[in-house]
Amino acid sequence: MKKALPLLLCITLIALVLLSGCAQQEKKPGAITVEIYDRGNPGGSKPEDNFFTEFIKKGMLDTYNVQVTFKPVPRWTEVEVLNNLLAANEAPDICVTYSYPTILTYANMGGVLDMAPYLKKYKNKLPNLWKLLGDRNIYWDRDPKAGTVWCIEALLFNNMRNSVFVREDWLKKLNITEPTTLEEFEAMLVAFRDNAKTLLGSNADKMIPFSLSIDVGWRADPLSTSFVPDNISDKEMWINGFDDRRLLWPGIKEGFRVLNKWYNEGLIWKDFPLYSYSDTTEGNLQKAGYVGAYFGNWDLPYRDQENGIQANLKKLVGPDAAYIAIEPFKNDAGKYRKYLSAPIDRKVFFPATNKDPVSSLMYLEWLATLENRRFLQIGEEGVNHEKQADGSVKAIAATGDKIMNSPNNIDYTIIINGLDLGDQDLNIKSLALAYPGVDKSYLEKSYTIMKHDSRITPNFNVGDIKAEEGMGPALKEKRDTLLTKAVISKPDQFDAVYDAGMKDYLNSGGQAIIDERRAKYEEIFGK
Amino acid sequence: MILPLTYFVIFKYIPMTYIQVAFKKYTIIKSPWEMPWADNGGFEYFIKAFSNRDFLYALRNTIMLNLLDLVTGFPAPIMLALLLNELRIRWFKRVTQTIAYLPHFLSWIIIYGMAVQLLAPTSGLVNIVLNRMGIKSIPFLNDSTYWVGTYVFLGIWRDVGWNTIIYLAAITAINPELYEAASMDGAGRIKKMWHITLPGLRPTIVVLLILSLGRILGSEFDRPYALGNALVKDVSNVIATFVYTYGIRGLQFSLTTAVGMFQSVVCVIFLFIANGLAKRIGEQGIV
Repeated sequence: MKKALPLLLCITLIALVLLSGCAQQEKKPGAITVEIYDRGNPGGSKPEDNFFTEFIKKGMLDTYNVQVTFKPVPRWTEVEVLNNLLAANEAPDICVTYSYPTILTYANMGGVLDMAPYLKKYKNKLPNLWKLLGDRNIYWDRDPKAGTVWCIEALLFNNMRNSVFVREDWLKKLNITEPTTLEEFEAMLVAFRDNAKTLLGSNADKMIPFSLSIDVGWRADPLSTSFVPDNISDKEMWINGFDDRRLLWPGIKEGFRVLNKWYNEGLIWKDFPLYSYSDTTEGNLQKAGYVGAYFGNWDLPYRDQENGIQANLKKLVGPDAAYIAIEPFKNDAGKYRKYLSAPIDRKVFFPATNKDPVSSLMYLEWLATLENRRFLQIGEEGVNHEKQADGSVKAIAATGDKIMNSPNNIDYTIIINGLDLGDQDLNIKSLALAYPGVDKSYLEKSYTIMKHDSRITPNFNVGDIKAEEGMGPALKEKRDTLLTKAVISKPDQFDAVYDAGMKDYLNSGGQAIIDERRAKYEEIFGK
Repeated sequence: MILPLTYFVIFKYIPMTYIQVAFKKYTIIKSPWEMPWADNGGFEYFIKAFSNRDFLYALRNTIMLNLLDLVTGFPAPIMLALLLNELRIRWFKRVTQTIAYLPHFLSWIIIYGMAVQLLAPTSGLVNIVLNRMGIKSIPFLNDSTYWVGTYVFLGIWRDVGWNTIIYLAAITAINPELYEAASMDGAGRIKKMWHITLPGLRPTIVVLLILSLGRILGSEFDRPYALGNALVKDVSNVIATFVYTYGIRGLQFSLTTAVGMFQSVVCVIFLFIANGLAKRIGEQGIV
């Protein structure tokens, strides 16, 4: 008995120590930092501290015992700011960017964590992430040789591009039917120009039949891609597709020749080259009712509620004034082809400084869980949305702490962009209701047009393209310069200006990229 | 004495060690001392810069714009100072001076906004007036040749008043007896300006000229960046905007450090040449 007592004491002591250790382990939560876009919205909430961040923080703590801190990064200078954070080893544990080259550059320097081993090891703990993104988006950028995964691609849920918008009320006033061919579209622009007095009265000198911006390549998309031969192969689309304005696709040039003709006939806004990317002048001209037609994102005129184009048009011009989406440009096969982007959006990556990749993956898993992302996308009933009788959801503009700083909170749902209620039918119905104050028929029309004859650009994963490194911004500048100059040149100089610009583009790195892409493609997928 | 010295060592000299990035392959995870050397004996990025046509254009544009600034912008404040000095009504002189230096406080982004409002081909006020008079629009901002003129003019407009201050200060230091003596000898205003005021300003002019020459290859970023647009890229792209595009946005840190270093070295050489010339013609110089 005398011997047993100290033994018992010892055992009790050890058990106590062990227990307390366990308890401490359970109590001590993991901690991660997450990048969040700061859009600086007037009247918005603090991106890193509001109703929705609290929802995420609480959810992560309750489900995975992980503390989350948000680190705001300005949306419009995200690459520059992210560069600084990465270079200073101060990047958040979970980073988000639209720029894959940025990730690749830092990955090649050893600054990015390879997600591949973690994704493999913890796959069964990430069922929702896999269900939402699938192998396709998770392994989108996997290196075919090394097997490394530097980032996973978010899902672009509503994969859209540009529509052609014209003034519905002007068509009616001039008794013109919706154009269905290029010729009819051009005749319509001429009619706008020649009837400026009828349409704008004393403001006739402000008439802009067609408006354009410095991002000519993007804005011209519906017209320029209608000149791409319909039988273009996936291979050629991909090899020549590193410029997302499709500058290098065959036939594109002819689209710009049309714009050049329009410009010289006084159909295009003359001063467009003087305004920068973020300038609001063109939008203001559209809102004021001086612009007859333009190409833009499928929902552009209907966005931004009372600050939007459609809403202002009705306010400033009259209740009948409206932009409507039309489909006028056929390709060589007689199709109204829309080349939609690949279904990828932002890229989520972990910098090498991330000490807790497992918790970071669990964060993505938590976001991928339907009820969590649905709450983030539609918010609170009665505050952020109203349920309709058919189950669809109508967005309401909230104020105060529960305001959403980005549509459907896309800045928080970093692995998916676009409303997903888990039911395709409800999604489409709700999408048309997501624009308070806009008649849903306008949105449905633009949506239907966008999906008509659409084709998705393919993905061939061949690993790094060395020639692309660091060239993105410089080539983008050259593209904008070349296209703007070509559009405003004299018609007899169009070819010379376009070809000289293209030569400069190719000599400055464009050709090297094409060659490397072709070689790598053929190495992996054959000729 | 120790405090300012520490400040300079920590914030000015220690960061200078990063200049070696120009000769090394930049890696985020290593300190500059550990980064591997670049190819071609460390001169890989210098060679790359000089074989990049955009850099050569940027170099040409930097020199061209700075020279034009120097030729037109340097004498302007001297002339304004001389003119202001001749004004006899004090309040008028003060008001004029104040109005002249106010634009200095406007940012280039605002100035570009004003320039577009005034000079755009169809909606700009100046061109609207010209059109009403039956004259065709002048492409102030969208034609390379005109753009250079606009660029230089806006530079003078913004800074002439500000730069005048230093000359006006120098003028007040000229001995008034000289003017009185000249008046006794029957010298008029022009004669006094030529024989007294201008020689009195000479040391100031020389020092400022040396400093200006030292900046001949140095380039400001905001002015060409804000005033430039896609149509005039061939003349508006200067070294600073090149560094921004390739370095900061394109993540080519070694390349742009090399460019920055080249720029600084050339500037220092110019500074010394100008200083040497000044000494040779009998001025004090600055070094």
